Amino acid sequence: MANSLFSRQQHGILLSPDPELAALFRSLWASSELEWLVIGQGRRAMEIIFNEPPDILVVDNRLEDIKSAEVAGIVKSENVYRQLPVILCLDAGDLDQPWNWNEIEADDFLVRPFLPTQARERVHLTLCRATRSMDANPLTKLPGNTSIISRIQDLIDRKDDFALAYCDLDYFKSFNDRYGFSRGDEVLMMTARVIVNTIRSFTGIRTFVGHVGGDDFVFIVPADIAETACQRVVEAFDGIVPHFYDEDDREREGIVSTDRQGEVRSFPLMALSIAVVFNTGGRLKHYGEASAIAMGLKKKAKENSKSCYVLDRRAP
Amino acid sequence: MEEDLKTVAKGKILSIRDLPTLPRVLDEVSRLVENPNTTIEAIAKVISRDQVLSAKVLKMVNSPVYGFPGRISSIQHALVLLGINVIRGVIISTSVFDIMAKAMEGLWEHSVGCALATGLIARKAKLKEPEEFSVCGLLHDLGKVVAAVQLPELHKAVGETVRSQDLRWLEAEKAVLGFGHDRINAWLATHWHLPPTIKEAMALHHYPERAQFYPQHAAAVHLGDFIVRIFEHGSGGDDQAVPLSPLALKILNLKLTDLDSVLDGFAQDLAEISCVDFTPEELSPSSGKACN
Repeated sequence: MANSLFSRQQHGILLSPDPELAALFRSLWASSELEWLVIGQGRRAMEIIFNEPPDILVVDNRLEDIKSAEVAGIVKSENVYRQLPVILCLDAGDLDQPWNWNEIEADDFLVRPFLPTQARERVHLTLCRATRSMDANPLTKLPGNTSIISRIQDLIDRKDDFALAYCDLDYFKSFNDRYGFSRGDEVLMMTARVIVNTIRSFTGIRTFVGHVGGDDFVFIVPADIAETACQRVVEAFDGIVPHFYDEDDREREGIVSTDRQGEVRSFPLMALSIAVVFNTGGRLKHYGEASAIAMGLKKKAKENSKSCYVLDRRAP
Repeated sequence: MEEDLKTVAKGKILSIRDLPTLPRVLDEVSRLVENPNTTIEAIAKVISRDQVLSAKVLKMVNSPVYGFPGRISSIQHALVLLGINVIRGVIISTSVFDIMAKAMEGLWEHSVGCALATGLIARKAKLKEPEEFSVCGLLHDLGKVVAAVQLPELHKAVGETVRSQDLRWLEAEKAVLGFGHDRINAWLATHWHLPPTIKEAMALHHYPERAQFYPQHAAAVHLGDFIVRIFEHGSGGDDQAVPLSPLALKILNLKLTDLDSVLDGFAQDLAEISCVDFTPEELSPSSGKACN
């Protein structure tokens, strides 16, 4: 599995009455890499799909009891299953009439006669595309929680040294309350660009940036550049963020608002707090440890109303 | 009839896809972006000397694609937010003027000079973020560049009118086109989602007293333009002084005598920017190195 595209064994379900198609799919992959469950009838398969969703679903249009488009429609109309990629297998004649791909939310299709290499690569591409787009943050398009956790766990399992930085914005809520959500989204888009470009400016190293959600971001860099990375991210953010306020608030360097009790409160300009956890010498065993340490450090970072970063200096 | 010309001209102006620049700065930036050890600061410093490259990066970073239109007015910030890959893409897709290059050199010197003078004015008036004022100065005549590219026949007619009737460029534009580069600036700034400070400075640098929201920006560029013309540095297309708006100084809380020290400072810095000539490097006796 050293050269495999996937970090674990993949499970596929093939719905087809065609034994040749089943044989082809089973011949293309070792079962340790991609294992196929072949079911000859469509309706019977739905319960299996719902109970144990596979990584990929391939539906033959030659199914006698249900149209392939209908299977795709059932899967894709449920939010918990719609991430499941679906490939349709068609006969050339099936394409005589144009298909409405807005309604049939399939991810790809194959046409008889099947070329084995093409079928293999299309399945690979569909699987990879599905993992890419699966949990991207809808606003920033950065990898989301699932990718973040699997990346961190992967690094921990390989006992790689790395620094994991958790970033969030101070006073983001008061900004949102004052200016509304779309102005808040502007700030999140800006923050994402600042982090991504600053981290990418370190060339020749492996890095990762993810968006946990809301105003929470993470980045992963080699331990030795973590502090420089934090400094640069904070500096760029602090320079740019005043421009996201209206002129009067920028002038007074903060927001003044009246709360529900009628009390006048003031909030400083938004600041970036970063907590950095180091995994050196394989000290971390689980993703949860990293986030627990980071949450503790975050409190410390938040004591400062200006942008700042806190490094976990505890010895391994 | 005149309205028709204006509508057609506006359509042509806004449809600009390929805005060329002069080779000197482009070559320098191209070398910088290919160097893996380059810094954003170094690239920003060079791009800040070219009105077209500056306009391109500000247009891109303020486009709705990035999610915060109209927010970014600094070249340095724009480059941080775009990132090196996008910057590289902008640079390699930028072409250079061929036949018009010679005619454009004066306008490039004029715009760099105006950026410098506007920045000095902003510092003298103790305004925040003087760099933003420099950008306003740099872009104040961008409409002339875009007109030259998109409306070449009309642009030529304006030049001829300037010479035959001894008019200022703006007056000749109004005679030939019915509108000036200030109007073109306003169209471009709106269409490109540039920040309102830059938009107002570009659109109203001839009439700062008409500025509704950011009169300081318009007034600072107005004075910058005035100063660079006194020194006859570069060319805005004509060789006439601009009439000084009596309100420009008042808007900035400056006295006429304050201009003396700005003029002195400009004269000193002129030596520096004079090194930034826009002829191709091999023809230029002074190497750009001495200026850095």
